[in-house]
Amino acid sequence: MGLNRRVWPWWAVLLGLLSLPIVAGYLWLVLSSLSNQMHGLLPTGGWKLQNWRFLWESVGGRPSIWGALSNTLIFAFGVAALEVLISAMTAYAISRLRFPGRGIYLGMILVLHSFPAVSLLIAIFYILRLLGLFDTLIGVILVKAALDIPLGIWVLKGFFDGLSWDMEMAALTDGASRWVIFWRIALPLVRPGLLALGTFALLSAWGEFILPYTLIISNKTWTLSLYLQSLIGAVDLTDYGLLAAVGLFYLLPVVVLFLLGQRYLLDIYGGGSKG
Amino acid sequence: MRRWSVAALFLLPGSLLIVLFFLLPVVLTLVLSATNLSTTTFSHPSWVGWGNYQELLQARFTPLILKNTLKYVILTLFFNVGMGLLLALITAFLPVRLGDAFRALWLLPRITASVVYVLIWQGLAAVAPYGLLSDLTGNSQNWIQQSPWAVVVLANGVIGASFGMLLFTSAIRAIPSDLLHAAAVDGATTWQSIYRVVLPLLRWPILFVSAYQTLSLLTSFEYILLLTNGGPGFYSTEVWSLSAYHQAFSNYFGNAQFGLGSAMAAVLVVIGVVVSLIYLRVFNFKELLGEPKVEVN
Amino acid sequence: MKGSQVRLEGLSKRFGKVEVLRPLDLEVQPGELVAFLGPSGCGKTTTLLLIAGIYQPSSGGIFFDGKQVNSLHPKDRDIGMVFQSYALYPHLNLFENIAFPLRLKRIAQAEVRRRVDQVAEFLGIAQVLFRRPGQVSGGQQQRAALARALVKEPSLLLLDEPLSNLDARIRLSARSEIRRLQQDLGITSVLVTHDQSEALAMADRVAVFSTGQVQQFATPEELYHRPSNTFVAGFVGDPPMNLLQGTFTEGKFDWDGLTIPVPPGHPGGSGYLGVRPEDIRLGGEIPTRLGIAEPLGREVLLSLDLGEGKTLKVLTPAGTRLAPGASLGLELRGAPLHFFDAEGRRVGS
Repeated sequence: MGLNRRVWPWWAVLLGLLSLPIVAGYLWLVLSSLSNQMHGLLPTGGWKLQNWRFLWESVGGRPSIWGALSNTLIFAFGVAALEVLISAMTAYAISRLRFPGRGIYLGMILVLHSFPAVSLLIAIFYILRLLGLFDTLIGVILVKAALDIPLGIWVLKGFFDGLSWDMEMAALTDGASRWVIFWRIALPLVRPGLLALGTFALLSAWGEFILPYTLIISNKTWTLSLYLQSLIGAVDLTDYGLLAAVGLFYLLPVVVLFLLGQRYLLDIYGGGSKG
Repeated sequence: MRRWSVAALFLLPGSLLIVLFFLLPVVLTLVLSATNLSTTTFSHPSWVGWGNYQELLQARFTPLILKNTLKYVILTLFFNVGMGLLLALITAFLPVRLGDAFRALWLLPRITASVVYVLIWQGLAAVAPYGLLSDLTGNSQNWIQQSPWAVVVLANGVIGASFGMLLFTSAIRAIPSDLLHAAAVDGATTWQSIYRVVLPLLRWPILFVSAYQTLSLLTSFEYILLLTNGGPGFYSTEVWSLSAYHQAFSNYFGNAQFGLGSAMAAVLVVIGVVVSLIYLRVFNFKELLGEPKVEVN
Repeated sequence: MKGSQVRLEGLSKRFGKVEVLRPLDLEVQPGELVAFLGPSGCGKTTTLLLIAGIYQPSSGGIFFDGKQVNSLHPKDRDIGMVFQSYALYPHLNLFENIAFPLRLKRIAQAEVRRRVDQVAEFLGIAQVLFRRPGQVSGGQQQRAALARALVKEPSLLLLDEPLSNLDARIRLSARSEIRRLQQDLGITSVLVTHDQSEALAMADRVAVFSTGQVQQFATPEELYHRPSNTFVAGFVGDPPMNLLQGTFTEGKFDWDGLTIPVPPGHPGGSGYLGVRPEDIRLGGEIPTRLGIAEPLGREVLLSLDLGEGKTLKVLTPAGTRLAPGASLGLELRGAPLHFFDAEGRRVGS
């Protein structure tokens, strides 16, 4: 929107000022993780590698961070794989197949998509206990994937809607069943959608706190968010160096993934959340 | 019927998860809300009918929690929508790459794990000499403890603003540039263009973002839980959804009140279902549901 | 490769309340190429998709070699189909596109290679086999689509406007190429087209569709010389037949005050007199005035004004220079005349 070419530097300055707190926050995290002590944003007392001691030793009797990291990886990739696959199957059916109740099904997905799932947490807790999946990674993975599936279906339906019907008909006459078409024609062609949803699911699961916090107890099953939260709750609050280092350790993969997947992601965080 | 078996196959896994973790929980929340299920009665709960709801109506803390909820939703909503709009408008003026960079920066908090995000707030808000806020103002205090409401609203607002920002940005991009050129030719200043052309066209996105955010603010409590956990002191930032969570999972007396918590959650569930159904009506649903052009599965 | 016989019995299709195809009976003989010709929205593509199994019939039956296939899945019907958009898979190169039907049959790699190479060689796309559809020309895409339809040696080939996205120049050569291929392979084929010259040039028989109904199913010669109603008469032939609305009375046809002598065999009362522009000769006693003259190369198409809003189209050899407004006489005697009754049905031979 090229409204007025001459004034934009002033707008950039204004926006820069508004954004300063965010920059300061992340700068603080990086500097704190490296330095002995912080005065505001000024590191004092030199560098301190000890902040990163959690990498090679246990902190206050906690299990190793590498266990929490691998739990988080399993959780995030498990959720992303399940969410992408199941959303894609359901979205393909809604977009391309005929079945009775198709309209009602899509309506339900839309309602669930705008429905605030956290309010169901108590009941979900109860159901997981009944299923014997409480305090297991697989249980939290199923719950997290399920809660995000309406969004996934909604996003991917849009991609499947865009596929050519002629092509689908051609595949049918070539001798393909719908199942074969889904795997060999439709899925490869909605790859951008799968990547976007996959990245979104990875990021969302990676940072997930409230579900593991509620549905996981034993520290062997801790994810990084639970690990960090237990430190925040227990460590002497002046040891911000350690907390910041753990936080940065936890944050870095996200930043990398975000920068890689940004192109795909912006659509989902905005448009995809349409209810 | 064999004819639908293919569709059933495709729908099975998704439907299973949706039934298990959406439909069943909705019903279960309503059912549990009529019981006195708690840690002590976990194996032998009994029906209490509307008892939990009556308890809520009479409870001393209910008016305070309602007031907090209202305060939280309204203040944060204004920040979210206003900031989102401001960000979308300003970044629209900037060169594309710069605008994208700013949008990415504002999206970062949303993508950051909530625990890390809150840790940053705690670091910035700590007492002198550690905290930046104390350092800059020369007023050493734990800002989260001293102004919990400001922190709660700002912390949630910074997250929420990115949602509006992205939606408004795509809405602004959808405005035909002819319209803006025409306004410019007619002698409109930048401000007039925004006020007379852009904002009226953003009416629906603004309404949508407000409605959507109201519902999600009403039920979200993750950041409050991490920032203040409803404190400091007695229920000073405790909102309805957080209170439901507290009743069910970390009751002060160590006896988790699943029944009472469910009653509080049930209120939110009912609001959620009703509002979602309204969305569905407002939305042009028919348009979303084109007929498949192939009649065999 | 052996073509199968296709029979449609009382086949109809409705979408909701709209009847897009009225009950239709039609037979395609083994090895025959039948064209479905008609304007858009006439039901010809619907019929093709019914034969393919993409649509389910609302009533009636589809028989391949006498066996009812109504509930047979498209993948099991042993058909090859070419679409107007070619519908190639954009993520696969031409080789994999053509090989796709064979891969689905789990045919060994060596055999796949052999058959794809053979059909690609035959259609002249062997050099571009390892490019994606987006990287080759429209003509090459069209050949690849044809190759994909033929590679599994189906017993029925369905062609949905296969040539309409091609340049006019390539279209003519593609026409004869497809026809030659079809005849060589002896494969039963159904061609859907809105282009009458394509239908007449390629097909053994043509079914002319209009408003969800077959108006006439006949050889191209028959369609041209004995159109069964005014729709076919007006649709087949370029430029179209002159159709004059008037009244027949004993050896005469009264066209809005102009009397034309006609031979016996005509209906009585109101009806239509049809005469093709190429059958009318100049130099007779019916007075006309020249409206416009459109040179068509070998011939010139004249629009002649007979007064009171009556016009006739006449085709004459090029070479005569005529000024607009010039007076010309017409001769209708000896020209083949077509008679239609008030409902538009053909009367007489």
